[in-house]
Amino acid sequence: MRNSLPTAALSEFVNEVASAPQEALMDYGVVMDWESGTRSRAEAKPMRVGPHRVSRSFTWKVDEPRQLMGNNHGPNPQELLLSGLGACMMVAFVAGATAEGIQLESVRIDMDATLDLRGFMGIGSNAPVGFPEIRYTIHVAADATPEQLACLHAKAVAHSPNAQTILNPVALRGEIVSTRSDA
Amino acid sequence: MTDTKIRGDASSQGPHLTTGGWLNDLDRKRAAGPFLPGHGLAAAGPSTTAVHAGTHDDARTGAVGTPIYQASTFLLGADQYGSIEQGFARDRFIYSRYGNPSQWAVQEKLAALEGADSAIVFSSGMAAITATVMALVDKGAHVVASADLYGGTYNLFNQEFPTFGMSATLVDPQDFAAIEAAIRPETQLMYFEAITNPLLKIIDIPRLAEIARRHGLRLVIDGTFAPPVAMRALEQGADVVVHSASKYLNGHSDLIAGVAAGPRKLIDMIWPRLLNYGGSLDPHACFLLERGLKTLAIRMRAHEENAHALARYLESHPKVARVFYPLLDSHPDRAVARRLLKNGTGNVTFFVQGGDQAALALVNALRIPKQATSLGGVESLVSLPFNTSQASYTARQRAAIGIHPGCVRLSVGIEDAADLIADFEQALAQIHPAKEAIHA
Repeated sequence: MRNSLPTAALSEFVNEVASAPQEALMDYGVVMDWESGTRSRAEAKPMRVGPHRVSRSFTWKVDEPRQLMGNNHGPNPQELLLSGLGACMMVAFVAGATAEGIQLESVRIDMDATLDLRGFMGIGSNAPVGFPEIRYTIHVAADATPEQLACLHAKAVAHSPNAQTILNPVALRGEIVSTRSDA
Repeated sequence: MTDTKIRGDASSQGPHLTTGGWLNDLDRKRAAGPFLPGHGLAAAGPSTTAVHAGTHDDARTGAVGTPIYQASTFLLGADQYGSIEQGFARDRFIYSRYGNPSQWAVQEKLAALEGADSAIVFSSGMAAITATVMALVDKGAHVVASADLYGGTYNLFNQEFPTFGMSATLVDPQDFAAIEAAIRPETQLMYFEAITNPLLKIIDIPRLAEIARRHGLRLVIDGTFAPPVAMRALEQGADVVVHSASKYLNGHSDLIAGVAAGPRKLIDMIWPRLLNYGGSLDPHACFLLERGLKTLAIRMRAHEENAHALARYLESHPKVARVFYPLLDSHPDRAVARRLLKNGTGNVTFFVQGGDQAALALVNALRIPKQATSLGGVESLVSLPFNTSQASYTARQRAAIGIHPGCVRLSVGIEDAADLIADFEQALAQIHPAKEAIHA
């Protein structure tokens, strides 16, 4: 299989979704539990792939380095955001390459971003709270021309759910359910 | 010269690769199969289907019937390499663990009989069950299954599942509230048997299918006790039907085989498990199974006729306490049987007066039925749950699932009903329930 992706099954799924759009609806969720200090535990909830449930059973820790009052027990939220973006663009890039018949030898996405914590801390400045930009470089070895890969890069970003979530306004709808405990 | 010959299902082609477009330009659609060339049998009744579907006369010689392709490997050319690269190798002949024309022929017959897009034969029913279950679950998955499961399937859930971090809850297959209550967030699959062993409960598959659909679960039905002709589990709402083909499907007690049938999407998910677990069916066994299947419809009619006659006879016998046969008016699930079964089967379970020792005396006195496990063969087979299928249970545990002392499990063959009845007449005359009770 080219790039270890079954092009035939990918094509069949695409065509299935074209006639049965409910098969394209994915429900995802994670539960975050505060463990201690800056550390929390993330657990993936069962997923829905179309009308069917998929067991996940994945957990991971999220923490901050000691310099930021944590214990450095896991990647921090910004690293997870970058990896979530990078992994999603990777899926799009590899799927697009496979559909074009491009054999990939290696793909690496090197990502960087700079945060000014004055925004988080509320120190008056013009610093935005979030990342003002995310920089990345895709290193590819493949049997394709630089032009083909540049085109593929553009299409991968255009079809990456996480890239598009970051590039576009997204509604954040939250509520809080509280119980009063004794001090 | 490049060999570009298509060896396999020529109607299956890889998608045209996109050039400057995106995934929505991919043009390969899912289709039933894989099929040998020139399959196409118009919609037909079960007997015609059993005889003709999937049977391919030899194009080279005109020999009638599917040749036995006793080969482990196939000549390779550019087309097959392409099928591997593009991920549709299931539709080409490459290596017999992946697929072989003898397998395809019998798979086509089985798929036609089940009304399925696709089927895969396996080297045993358990190979089919394991590959099917493992294809439909993921890390941490939970399965809701019948408490009356076949022992081999029970062992899969009890012995193998925990190793993979998976679990199963076993529930009364007729307690729909309990089934629904057992469903958890990580539940992915419901696994039930169409007719249970040995008490022959008829499971309401449409009801289970409705629960599965409502919760986004897949429903797998083991149809071993209810082969097509008697029932098509997919039509009743199952996502995948599995069988031990060693039983009614082959019908001659001379091979071990299994099958999974269903929509192409799911059977294509099971296929990689066939490759990984390795339970492929030998071409000669495929030939035997295909030959056996040709008489499925006529055998099932004979099984029903004999079993029904014998069940009525046993029910009238003073030394028989209780008879379970789905077509008897006394069967607890008679109404469900009337709705789901198009034909009876050969399984009859009954309780003789005098307990397990009387039952043992009875089976020893029988001349026609062979004392052996298994079922669905042309010959009548008889066995006792207490010293075979449920031997590891205590008498109390057996009683809890309705297997009371004196339980006899009978698979009625296609002999003459009059001979079978006469044999039971003489054998029952030899048992003395009262005497047994005194010595007990």
